Amino acid sequence: MNEAQSAAIAELPTIADFARTFRRIQAEIHKVIIGHERAVEELLSALFAGGHVLIEGVPGTGKTTLVKTLGLALNLTFNRIQFTVDLMPADITGTRVIMSSAEGRREFSFQPGPIFCHILLGDEINRATPKTQSALLEAMAELQVTVSGTTYPLIPPYFVMATLNPIEMEGTYPLPEAQLDRFLFKVRLGYPGEEELVRIISSTTGPEESGVEPVFGPAEAAQRIEGLKRLVREVLVAPPIEQYAARLVRATQPANSRVLGDLHSPITVDEVNRYVSFGASPRGALALILGAKVRAMLDGRANIAYDDIDRVAPAALEHRIMLNYAAHSDNVDAEHIVEQVVKAVRASRA
Amino acid sequence: MAARAPGGDHVAESRRDEQKLWLILFQIKGVRARLNFLAMQRWVFAALALLIGAIGLTFYAAATFGPLTFLIVAVIVTLVTIVGISRETMRVRAMRASLTRAATIADDRSQMQGRLATVLALNDSPRRSSLWAYLVEDTYGRRENYEPSRIEPQWLSRAFYLMLAAIVLGALALPAAQLSRGLQQRLAASGAALPGRVTADISSLDIRPADPALQPNAEIYADPATLKKLEDKIAAADSADRKRNGLSKLLDKARSFADTFQDKLNGLDRNHPNPLRMRLTDNHPGDSSSPHNENSNPGRPGAANGGGGLASNSRPGGAGSSQPGGAQGQPPMTSLQPQQADQLASKDANAQPAPGSDNGSNGANAPANSNDATADGGSAHGAGSDPTTLFGPASAQPLGSDSFKIAIEAEPTDESSSRGSPTYVPPRVRVPLNSVQYPDEPLARAAVPADDQNTIKRVFER
Repeated sequence: MNEAQSAAIAELPTIADFARTFRRIQAEIHKVIIGHERAVEELLSALFAGGHVLIEGVPGTGKTTLVKTLGLALNLTFNRIQFTVDLMPADITGTRVIMSSAEGRREFSFQPGPIFCHILLGDEINRATPKTQSALLEAMAELQVTVSGTTYPLIPPYFVMATLNPIEMEGTYPLPEAQLDRFLFKVRLGYPGEEELVRIISSTTGPEESGVEPVFGPAEAAQRIEGLKRLVREVLVAPPIEQYAARLVRATQPANSRVLGDLHSPITVDEVNRYVSFGASPRGALALILGAKVRAMLDGRANIAYDDIDRVAPAALEHRIMLNYAAHSDNVDAEHIVEQVVKAVRASRA
Repeated sequence: MAARAPGGDHVAESRRDEQKLWLILFQIKGVRARLNFLAMQRWVFAALALLIGAIGLTFYAAATFGPLTFLIVAVIVTLVTIVGISRETMRVRAMRASLTRAATIADDRSQMQGRLATVLALNDSPRRSSLWAYLVEDTYGRRENYEPSRIEPQWLSRAFYLMLAAIVLGALALPAAQLSRGLQQRLAASGAALPGRVTADISSLDIRPADPALQPNAEIYADPATLKKLEDKIAAADSADRKRNGLSKLLDKARSFADTFQDKLNGLDRNHPNPLRMRLTDNHPGDSSSPHNENSNPGRPGAANGGGGLASNSRPGGAGSSQPGGAQGQPPMTSLQPQQADQLASKDANAQPAPGSDNGSNGANAPANSNDATADGGSAHGAGSDPTTLFGPASAQPLGSDSFKIAIEAEPTDESSSRGSPTYVPPRVRVPLNSVQYPDEPLARAAVPADDQNTIKRVFER
């Protein structure tokens, strides 16, 4: 190990730093968000794993509040786009407008759209047309935006959170698989329980709302978050664990899938063959490993365990599995499929 | 010096890390050795348990069953043992732990959350990240959790108890086999000491070609008529033997082999088998199944007196005259006490057959037992249709003896050659009556009133 490497390592936060920071952000968010502990943890895991999150929940469950609170806690720039059917791609990415220069010349100048920020909330993303939805693709995958042939980089950390309303499907445009695949996790926000509802009522209808204190200062926030993200990447993964993640992903592919060819998974799950049209893509395996790395660090470990993979599998794989008509008629959801897949692959490991 | 100190610290720290790593790997190797040792124990104990069980079962079968049954049992036991040992071998091979497997098992059992497997996997890998040192330190700090004795507390495989159980069963099977063999030997010895205790009814005697496993140690004696019948049966059996197919002959060879093996296991000397003395009688002299009696009247069982002998006899009522040697004045064998029957049999066996009685078909014995209608051998009375012999003293009448069978006094022998023989029929053992039991007394035939006797005679004289 040379001195440059040693210096780089010395700059990295420790695992204890990571866990402490993570828990602190969590605590700040939970000042506003009552319950949804797992959703918040998955949201932060996706952030530190360098991915984006699709939040699915019925109206009134705090999707927008959650994202806003996260922005406040991280002290990062935050933009919100309300997706509607008439929203155009330029409304997101920005556009070139004619501007008068100081010399009096008129020239095209790029006006950045709301996509240029650290944290972007795309509210009800499925209400926009696919053309507008796809405006996010390049930004999410490559951290850059191309407008009129000019590419503009985004400043890391860049974190997109999109919300989906699963019950009002009238006039919506389901997200294309390519875009769904770009979200690291899909987080579900369900209705709160009675006890949690009481706490929500008491905390939000009083004279004062709970104030969220930023965990980072405005100048250091981006740098520190990037440092923590780099540390996550340093977590060690044994080859058997990587093989396990690969098996999980391959087991989500139905045996009769035409995209597989002869590359069928040795582990066959009946539910997958019956109800799945397309299984998870290789991005699913990356999501499993990255999410598991965050889990390992939260547990104070420098290595991934099988349990970490199992724990993040629902959030990482559910939205990547395309169900067929039989699944809809039999009322089978992706959560059940992932559960069966994990069970089968775990059994094969034993 | 000041410039060298950090470098020296770095080297020393690196060396300490290497030592910690070595200790971690050493413990993983210890876990593997312990797991493999247990797996090997399991194989040895399970294989021994199977072998001991198989040997015990084979000895028990040798002492208990006949040759053919023993052969089948022995083959099944051998197959089960081979399959069992093979499966156990495969299972133990699957259980054999590599270093990776040992690390995974240690991770699972010590809640190390994959630390050991990761250390082992990335030990020689260039993919070590900046957290490698942290992982080694963390794993080393938890080394008490994955000591071999904690990962696998057992030092003796549970299969040991299986082997103990097999030894106990084997130890029980051998005395049981010896007990069974001893009992049979005692019975055989007592049977040999009392000649004539075994009595077989030729009518129910199924004669077929001799089992090659049988030893020529049976001494059969009977009255000439019965012996003639026996000859006929033997001739029929020889004829059947010539028609046997290759499978039957193969079966005979297998039986012979099984018998030899069984005798070796039982410690029996095939050259000196215990002799068996058996008295052969004919309880159904009129049995039409006998070729010898083909010319007798099948419609009259009571007249089936030695076949041809009956044909030459104008008094077919001489039924029941098939007593050995046509012994005059003697009651039928069916009413003899066993001792008396044995005496008769001994006499018959030692003496030359009386003229006219060596062959039941020549009818020479007819005068001896049929001309005297009032003789003690009253078996002739009332059994025929001759009016002159229709009536006799009620007390001397055979009392419905034409349908009951002689109970065979027989005692089993431990001669393996006599077991498994297709001709062997388990003998009926006569048990002495106790104080509260009474012998069977057939109903006495009622005397015919004098007034009715003339009427009946007239009817028969028509």
